[in-house]
Amino acid sequence: MSASTPLQLDTRSSVVKSGNTVLFRLPNGDAKALKVDKDSTVSLGRLGLFYANELIGEPFGRTYDIVNKKLKLLPPRTLADIEDTDATNELINDGEFVQPLTGDEITALKQSGTHASDIIKLQIEQHANYSLKTEYSKEKYKKRKEAKYSKTFTTIEPTLFNVCEYWFNKDQDRVRDIRIDALSQILHMANIRPGGRYIAVDDASGLIVSGILERMGGQGRLITISNTDSPPAYPIMVTMNFNDETVTPVLSSLNWATADETHTPLVPPVDLSPDQIKSDRQKSRINKRKAALDLLNSNREELFAGGFDSLIIASEYDPWSILERLVPYVAFSGSIVVQSPYAQILSEVQTKMRALPQYLGPSLSQVWLRRYQVLPGRTHPMMNTSGTGGFILHAIKVNDDETATGMAGFRRHKSAAKTSNGTTPTPGASTSTPTLVPVVVVAEDDAMDDVAETAMDEVEPEPST
Amino acid sequence: MWSTARDIADGDTVIVWLTRDFLQPLTVTAGKDFNSKFGNYRHSDFIGLPFGSKVGSRTGKGFIHVLRPTPELWTLALPHRTQILYVADIALVVAYLDIRRGSRVVEAGWFPSTVSLALVGRIAGIHSWATGTGSGSFSHSVARTIGPSGRLWSYEFHEARAKKASEEFARHGMSDFVTLTHQNVCKDGFNLTDEADSVFLDLPAPWDAVPHAKQALRKDRTTRICCFSPCMEQVLRTVSALNDAGFSDITMYETLVHQHDVSQVPVLPPISEVAEKLKKAEGIREVKRQRQIAAGQRTHEPHGEKRKRGEGDDDGVEEGAPGSAELESGKRLKTGDEAPSTLAETVSVVPTTAPAAVSKISVSKVVPEVRGHTSYLTFATLLPPLPASALEDAKQEPDQTS
Repeated sequence: MSASTPLQLDTRSSVVKSGNTVLFRLPNGDAKALKVDKDSTVSLGRLGLFYANELIGEPFGRTYDIVNKKLKLLPPRTLADIEDTDATNELINDGEFVQPLTGDEITALKQSGTHASDIIKLQIEQHANYSLKTEYSKEKYKKRKEAKYSKTFTTIEPTLFNVCEYWFNKDQDRVRDIRIDALSQILHMANIRPGGRYIAVDDASGLIVSGILERMGGQGRLITISNTDSPPAYPIMVTMNFNDETVTPVLSSLNWATADETHTPLVPPVDLSPDQIKSDRQKSRINKRKAALDLLNSNREELFAGGFDSLIIASEYDPWSILERLVPYVAFSGSIVVQSPYAQILSEVQTKMRALPQYLGPSLSQVWLRRYQVLPGRTHPMMNTSGTGGFILHAIKVNDDETATGMAGFRRHKSAAKTSNGTTPTPGASTSTPTLVPVVVVAEDDAMDDVAETAMDEVEPEPST
Repeated sequence: MWSTARDIADGDTVIVWLTRDFLQPLTVTAGKDFNSKFGNYRHSDFIGLPFGSKVGSRTGKGFIHVLRPTPELWTLALPHRTQILYVADIALVVAYLDIRRGSRVVEAGWFPSTVSLALVGRIAGIHSWATGTGSGSFSHSVARTIGPSGRLWSYEFHEARAKKASEEFARHGMSDFVTLTHQNVCKDGFNLTDEADSVFLDLPAPWDAVPHAKQALRKDRTTRICCFSPCMEQVLRTVSALNDAGFSDITMYETLVHQHDVSQVPVLPPISEVAEKLKKAEGIREVKRQRQIAAGQRTHEPHGEKRKRGEGDDDGVEEGAPGSAELESGKRLKTGDEAPSTLAETVSVVPTTAPAAVSKISVSKVVPEVRGHTSYLTFATLLPPLPASALEDAKQEPDQTS
């Protein structure tokens, strides 16, 4: 196949650039976000300082050691096989004095610039019971000491996955429990693609907005509605290190006042007659004001004109009130995705959706994710994991114009059928969601189980297959 | 890919939504009919309607919704409808592999041609069959995400399947940026060198394809691989192969999605309600018991006793206030009337004293039967090679810690 040079349409740089907010993986496994500016020093706490210029231009994902404020590039760590021995830990008792090396001595070693690996080696040599440990315990011991003394760090590429993981671990509440599995499902359910047009309500620090922008790749439109007077701060976008082309042409924001069709924003006058303008400063101020007003008006017109492909909501406000306001702007066949940390809130919304035929197939789901430790001979699920990644409600907006589709007669027939047979769910009973929604009702008396198969036989095969 | 116009045109692919469990893809062709349990339709009825319209059948009996295809609806409309379960897997893979607009992706699948074979495979646990080229779920999802400026190289082992998938990609307008090759990638590789940003392997023996995948991946930037395997034994072999090939950051995930049933139930009554009823019933039972004792005494009691009681009664009537006897008998009458109905209530347990409007609450729980496992997702990263100087350093100081 052709060896053509790939056309790079990056939302961000694949190497560290001056001004980037870089995520650092520290020896104890924690991640830390720091801004890396040219000609400055970066401080990683216990690990020490280094010159930022050494990192600029480097690809993300590499591992370094800090040696005298300089970076020493290390090869990526490989998985080491552990040979099993006869040691069983059985001769090791708690509370025994095993380490003659004192804390003060270790501190002195560290201050003298001894490398972490040498300190650990010394500790092992002096350790009374080290040889009695199983190979697995030895490995764990080394790892624990490393987390304590090592000055090694790894840069983390700001992919959506990594950024989401970082923020979720840092502060789950601020991202409204949106774990990466939930975020990726939301983006798929909302059919996010380059060139699409979306409305988002993101009270999750900009995690949803970041995901949408990343997937749009600078093509399409995203209008967000916020609760702030000024343009909303989406702090997670900073960690994504988006370039300008990814954000500026795509993203516009309104707030709940300016997104109200009946509201006329109060703005100072911009159309002054020439004799009212007294200075150049006033003139430039008025021009700026006019530009801002024009932008606001065009954003409002764009929203009110509707036809958006999807609506994505992760909000601290009542989702139903948001749906009532924004669903009119979603195109038919468009997706509506509502996220919440609480199943109860989405259950209420789903119940309300079911009563309205414009919502097709509302379904509530819960995400589940489990990570494994994969090491030779020691593969198992992680001992600690997150308890929740949030809940997602999805529905499709449809055109229920009954007069246009001539459904009036059928609707009567259907309601007659509803009372005469038991195939339709009665309100209040569990409607066993995945099989039936009141919006889509079988017109005939057959049991649902038969329907699919019988219908399958009668349906014509797809013409071109 | 699929039409982005507002209205359905002749030749468009639509997804016909018959019920939540029964969706079907359809190429709209003027002059053709669409007949189903849910009524009879002419394709020409759909043309000119907006995507997402409800359409009533020509007989006035039944209706359907005609929707704009998305990779997720497409997956739901495929014959193996259980595949919705894999949406979680696909979404996580796309996120981990950092697939976005313009990405260059390699995908290789292995797909038995019949459902029976697939079932055999699932039982034997030797390979997975639900994603990849065979069903097109992963391909459509990736195509949506990368867009026309991206590139997807898809490899299919089975010739007939490869042909069918290729036709499908053409029909869905993906041919410009999606290439399908009929090839055994474990043996013959991908015919690509330093081209791809990410590789997705859904193969029974992904470890055989790992070295080929490394060749296909670009070396000028960080790239990623995912192997999709249902069995732990496959994971372990894959992990070794990835480690040997120089991949780092090897990790593994499992993801599932649990659908919830939402229902409305009346606000649950507090125990004070039932306690009140039980107490009332207890009182009535006691009164009844006393009455029975009294009645028994009247019929069986010996003379002496009778006289004594009779005297007492007389005393009561004579000595008590004139109204007290009336009050007592009235009270007894009232409780006597009430007793049967209250007892009936306690038998049925459900409180019948319903307030004027029964308020309801929405509750949800996970559906009774859920998929417990789909596949393990093994991920790894391939970093650009280190500069020669750093490699020299590393040689001089052999691995310090591990």
